[in-house]
Amino acid sequence: MSDASSGSSAADPSAEVDRALAEAAASRPTHTPGDVLLEVKDLKKHFPLTQGIVLKRTVGHVRAVDGVNLSLRRGETVGLVGESGCGKSTVTKMLVALEKPTDGQILYKGEDVTRMSGRALKQYRREVQIIFQDPYASLNPRMTVGDIVAEGWSVHADIAPRKGRLQRTQELMERVGLNPDFVNRYPHQFSGGQRQRIGIARALALQPEVIVCDEPVSALDVSVQAQVVNLLEDLQNDFGLSYLFIAHDLSVVRHISDRVAVMYLGSIVEEGTDAQVYGSPAHPYTQALLSSVPVHEPHLRGLKERILLQGDVPSPANPPSGCRFRTRCWKAQDICATEPPALVDRGQGHPSACHFAEARAVVPTEG
Amino acid sequence: MSTASSSVPTSPARGAGTPILEVDDLRVQFRTGSGLVNAVNGVSYTVSEGETLAILGESGSGKSVSAQAIMGILDTPPAEITSGRIVFEGRDLLTLPEEEQRKVRGPGISMIFQDALSALNPVYSVGFQIGEMFRAHRGTSRKEAKQHAVELMERVRIPAAKERVNDYPHQFSGGMRQRVMIAMALALDPRILIADEPTTALDVTVQAQVMDLLKDLQRDTGMGLILITHDLGVVNEVADNVAVMYAGRIVERGTVDEVFGNPAHPYTDGLMRSIPQVEVKGGRLQPIGGQPPNLAAIPSGCPFHPRCPKRRTGAQAAPGRDCVADVPPLRLVVPGRQAACHYSEEVLGV
Repeated sequence: MSDASSGSSAADPSAEVDRALAEAAASRPTHTPGDVLLEVKDLKKHFPLTQGIVLKRTVGHVRAVDGVNLSLRRGETVGLVGESGCGKSTVTKMLVALEKPTDGQILYKGEDVTRMSGRALKQYRREVQIIFQDPYASLNPRMTVGDIVAEGWSVHADIAPRKGRLQRTQELMERVGLNPDFVNRYPHQFSGGQRQRIGIARALALQPEVIVCDEPVSALDVSVQAQVVNLLEDLQNDFGLSYLFIAHDLSVVRHISDRVAVMYLGSIVEEGTDAQVYGSPAHPYTQALLSSVPVHEPHLRGLKERILLQGDVPSPANPPSGCRFRTRCWKAQDICATEPPALVDRGQGHPSACHFAEARAVVPTEG
Repeated sequence: MSTASSSVPTSPARGAGTPILEVDDLRVQFRTGSGLVNAVNGVSYTVSEGETLAILGESGSGKSVSAQAIMGILDTPPAEITSGRIVFEGRDLLTLPEEEQRKVRGPGISMIFQDALSALNPVYSVGFQIGEMFRAHRGTSRKEAKQHAVELMERVRIPAAKERVNDYPHQFSGGMRQRVMIAMALALDPRILIADEPTTALDVTVQAQVMDLLKDLQRDTGMGLILITHDLGVVNEVADNVAVMYAGRIVERGTVDEVFGNPAHPYTDGLMRSIPQVEVKGGRLQPIGGQPPNLAAIPSGCPFHPRCPKRRTGAQAAPGRDCVADVPPLRLVVPGRQAACHYSEEVLGV
């Protein structure tokens, strides 16, 4: 690993944890590679808006997530991009069962998570882990790194026998590029990038199949982001993990994802492989989003077409009728106000939710 | 070290404007419970009329502290400006008495911040806050000040300015709040605008709107713009010149085209390589190893040496150019380009 923060020892104890995780992977019922692990069907989450203090009455709903369909295959990375308030974080909360959907299904290996309880839910929560955005807020400041990484084992005791836990913790720390001698240190003694590694080790400790990464690098410095992205890629290759990667940085999402879904105001407007979505975006919002990303190569400056959107994102408590993007769209016509466009392929080779979908290259290509 | 080099025009194309602000060998320290923190260690730059200078750096590189020193908004103590000059239109601000400094800075230099919501006062209407500039500095009446506020809000393209002048900050979206901040900053026609991460808290489509606005306003007024950011893309799209900071020092300076096109410092080179591109799906990222330095214990010699792939020490190093022992001065490497690396020529490949 290209990281200087690990004061690695001569022997490679991380081989041990690799073996343990690989064994665990082998002992699972075999799935053909690429089969669908997690599927989200018409997922909705409406938060009630209330008025009054004693006699609360509901005066409306914030439609944070309003009909999202997604699927995640084994060993795959799906990127979910969108601006703040589009509902991407609410989707992650429902996926890790921290929030109950208002409607819709989350199918994990064919079972509906929203109907799970008891052992099944416990098992699901072990297999689907999450890495949070802010490594400063998501680690308990009063717990040592060792306790943070090992905490999951107090619930899922069968994963690690009580005896070898310290050793396992240190192996995990080594694996994510932390010095295992720091096992008794506290989070404040680590930098942002190192804290994010602690969060990754915590997720790995439970031998998950899916890791939901909620903006895992956006709080990190540029020079450290790449370290964490590379680590996530290595871990995926070694353990066959599947990632749902949520971010607003379109470059990072393109780099890491096999497929990309673009969200706007609670629903997905376009979906496809990274080459389809970035190379020939069909939805006007995706086009505007991509054209707004500043490029950092001087020779590409000015080659890009600039699409400046007017106005702001409407409130999800009172979304526009029909197509939700129509209030800011330059293509909007009467039909857009009356008929919500379905997310289907309109001849561009990948699905987009626009009545007037039209592939258009907005990002300059090298050479 | 930098007095001589700062007179070198960094941008022959845009250097036509007269210099407005000159920062020379600025040093800032913080006294904290855990010791002395050297946040800014000898920073020099000039900003000319109509020029956009980007100060690029990661958190803790001293980019914001140096700007706060110019604005005179450092908390002293714990901060202390230990040396340097800040020359604005021919006068060294640091030698003037406090009251004089305020009179010069108030109308001459303005600043906008990353988080517009916490920079605005929640209990006053935006019109009142924008108008405050005119009342405080020009003694304008309340009514007239509000009139000016509406004009300014129109200038920063806030829709329905007349109706919104009495609204409060929480009633605006993030992008609109940043526009209110910009309106306040522009009220007295400053010669220098310092923008400290103005779009970091904004979404990418709104970021594009705000950066466009700033560029247009700069074109109209001819003010100098100091853009403090960590985003290489923003620097590339809006700035003329760039100063890259690391551990409180400028490690490379030149035009954006040259610095980004062919970096002369291993840190700049590493940054360019470590970020993924939106245009193309590249192979594996090449991160800079290690962590940014602790400013209370800056490494000896070149502060970047623990992370530098090109570091030379001991027998490998040329005499007086040992990366672990000798601090590399910011020097002219090729015309128009300065870098603080003993081996810049190798990095550049000249």
